[in-house]
Amino acid sequence: MLSRKPKAITFLVYLTIPILLYVFVVFFPLLTSLFYSLFEWKGGPNKTFIGGANYTQLIHDSVFWSAFRNNLYLVFLCLIGQVGIAFIFVMIINTRYIKLKGMHRTFGFFPSTIAAVSIGFIWTMIYDSRRGLLNWFLEKVGRADLQQVWLNNSKLVMTLVSIPLIWQYIGYYMIIMLSATAAIDTEILESADLDGANAFQTAVHVVLPMIKSTIMVCIVLCVSGNMKAFDNIYVMTKGGPGNASMVMAMYGYKISFEQQNMGYGSAISVGIFVLGIAVIGAMQLLQRAISKEEVI
Amino acid sequence: MKRSSKIMSVLLSALMASGILTACSSGSTTTTTAAATTTAAATTTAAETTTAAEETTTAAETTTAAETTKTTETTAADDTSSSGTLNYTGEISLMHFSTSEESEGNGGSDGFRTVIAQWEKDHPDIKLNQTVLANDDYKTQIATQAAAGDLPDVFLLQGMNTKAWAAQGLIMDMTDIIKSSPYYSEYNQNYFTPFTDNDKLYGLPVLTGGTCTVVVYDKNAWKEAGYDAFPTSWDDVKTADEYFKSNGYKETIAFGNGGQWQINSDFLSVIGDRYTGPDWFQSLVDKTGAAFTDEEFVKALTFTKDIFASGIFNDDFNTVTNEDAREYYISGESPAFIGGNWDVSYIGATLKESDKDLYNNTGFAVLPQPSDATGSTNTQNIGLGYAVSLNSKLADDQDKLAAATDFAEYVTGPEFSSYVAKNYALSGLTKVENVDLSAFDQFTQDFYNYSYVDTNTCEIYDSYVSSAVWSVLNTDLQTMLNGDMTPEDVAKAAQEAYEANY
Repeated sequence: MLSRKPKAITFLVYLTIPILLYVFVVFFPLLTSLFYSLFEWKGGPNKTFIGGANYTQLIHDSVFWSAFRNNLYLVFLCLIGQVGIAFIFVMIINTRYIKLKGMHRTFGFFPSTIAAVSIGFIWTMIYDSRRGLLNWFLEKVGRADLQQVWLNNSKLVMTLVSIPLIWQYIGYYMIIMLSATAAIDTEILESADLDGANAFQTAVHVVLPMIKSTIMVCIVLCVSGNMKAFDNIYVMTKGGPGNASMVMAMYGYKISFEQQNMGYGSAISVGIFVLGIAVIGAMQLLQRAISKEEVI
Repeated sequence: MKRSSKIMSVLLSALMASGILTACSSGSTTTTTAAATTTAAATTTAAETTTAAEETTTAAETTTAAETTKTTETTAADDTSSSGTLNYTGEISLMHFSTSEESEGNGGSDGFRTVIAQWEKDHPDIKLNQTVLANDDYKTQIATQAAAGDLPDVFLLQGMNTKAWAAQGLIMDMTDIIKSSPYYSEYNQNYFTPFTDNDKLYGLPVLTGGTCTVVVYDKNAWKEAGYDAFPTSWDDVKTADEYFKSNGYKETIAFGNGGQWQINSDFLSVIGDRYTGPDWFQSLVDKTGAAFTDEEFVKALTFTKDIFASGIFNDDFNTVTNEDAREYYISGESPAFIGGNWDVSYIGATLKESDKDLYNNTGFAVLPQPSDATGSTNTQNIGLGYAVSLNSKLADDQDKLAAATDFAEYVTGPEFSSYVAKNYALSGLTKVENVDLSAFDQFTQDFYNYSYVDTNTCEIYDSYVSSAVWSVLNTDLQTMLNGDMTPEDVAKAAQEAYEANY
């Protein structure tokens, strides 16, 4: 029906709505954070301009940098856990031995619909040292010597709080990848089969290259999602013991609201933004380098 | 080839956009959280306001129908004689944390809700717009509103925010209001200290005077271990620990520090006083020379570290909360528990239903004395942690201010105190003469005597100074109890936070 191209002005008018919304919820808070970060502001009407002093403090703040390291560690674990395991599951579901594929898809996706706070509580109970599933299991298999107060182990705690996150989002990435593999022409898979490729070879040499772009989307989603991790860790440990499971967003929250230091809290927010962009940027450079290599 | 690179570039720019979007959303966490909290508050308010009046009446009726009616009558009489008629008609916004759930079993909350309902009844022309949140949410919400300069007309002020908010001009100087209050002579003056800044008073202390540190113990179990009462020295506790461990108990004392504040409020605040005495803390509050790095305080930290390393506490004390730990006592896994008055009211209410024997045999004791402590003895930290405070903007509307003042005086006045004294054997801001304890069971009598009669009192650390200092100290204390930080480093970090924020 549409015979001629709409006028440019029509495009602009329709675009204005989302752009204004985007500016309001993203750029405006970011700019105000940037503004507040230049003040010593303990809440309330009085602020003192202190220039870059908050940023000097931020650069020397060991807790912030350890929180950043924790974020990176979380990203690393979740890349392997969420995207990696999801890929394996996709390959398993796609084999002809698996029945009830729809059910697997639904139940696999189920955890990502639960609120992170509930997930946090569920896993706190699993890790509980007295009544928890994990210690109970260790006792049943005769390894009571391995029992411990899990969430109090400052060396393990980051890994332990990552596991619920991984568990929760495997299904999410699985769905994305399943839709990508569904688009692969079955003839390709059949010819791979005829050529004598085993399941592993098919996965690595046929399926993986064909859904490469989707996997890249998954990786970026995973990185950006975990750079802002907060809720389930807050429920499980509040960043403890001490600061052992502190992540950047939680540190910003703690400084802003628990310590009521809004100025420095804003500086932390800006820091998170800059580091977030840097990490994502690095990921993209890496991806570009990889795809260039393959073209050659 | 060309086509695929085009797809690639579209995809990459989509990635970039989504990357920026997600990173941005973490960048602006502060703002988002604030917005989210507001929504939560709004929702709760709606739910609360509808049920508030109804539920308070029910609670009052079930406990003491006769008394409540009597109280209401006297109130009306008092009101007309003391403050005259109020000229204000309209809304007053009020924010507090005595939710209906909280008021079940908690005397202070029940009493507070009851007197609010009475005041509303006596002043039908004034609409109280209440926002009621759970305590944790309340603290976040009120801090956010303070930061935005948008406090409600009447709210509850936490002691440690007094100086900061007074300096910001957010809260009203209530010195004259308080001094001309009809109940002034009945006020327990000690309770005002946390809400005082440079001799100016910023609030009327509210709810009940409750201890933050009490040892709750099973008298029978300790008798079997050879102690007629809870030991007064930690060495005896350690000796008893051997007995308890070999007799089926998991630990001697249950404690929960999962929220990081418990070790401060429910332990260090008293142990610190035992080492430093009251003058040190007063000097810290007044900024007249005392420091966290002072030898006596570091000794208190060292003691805290050692006693928690000695194994008399549950091994998961650093991850479970006080709510979890008190269940260890209730279920009989531990013969003792350390917590605050809020834990005692929960334990009492639960045991009364589930374990009458333990209820009748539960006793209360102060923390034992560390052997090298020379500051004070037999102390427990008690006080009123919150005060009814007024928004400084009320000064623009004298009629509204008069109404808010009347409300503040009423809910902290003798009506409240006699209600909680009669129904719960608790004490509020005004003194109640001759509380008749005989009507109460042993548990309630014992706790009354522990709180108000048999012990010396000391200050609750986090009613003073600044939340920034306690947040740093509490986090480091948790690390220290795990053995990953020395008491000297903890003291040093706390001192730095103190100098930077107070």
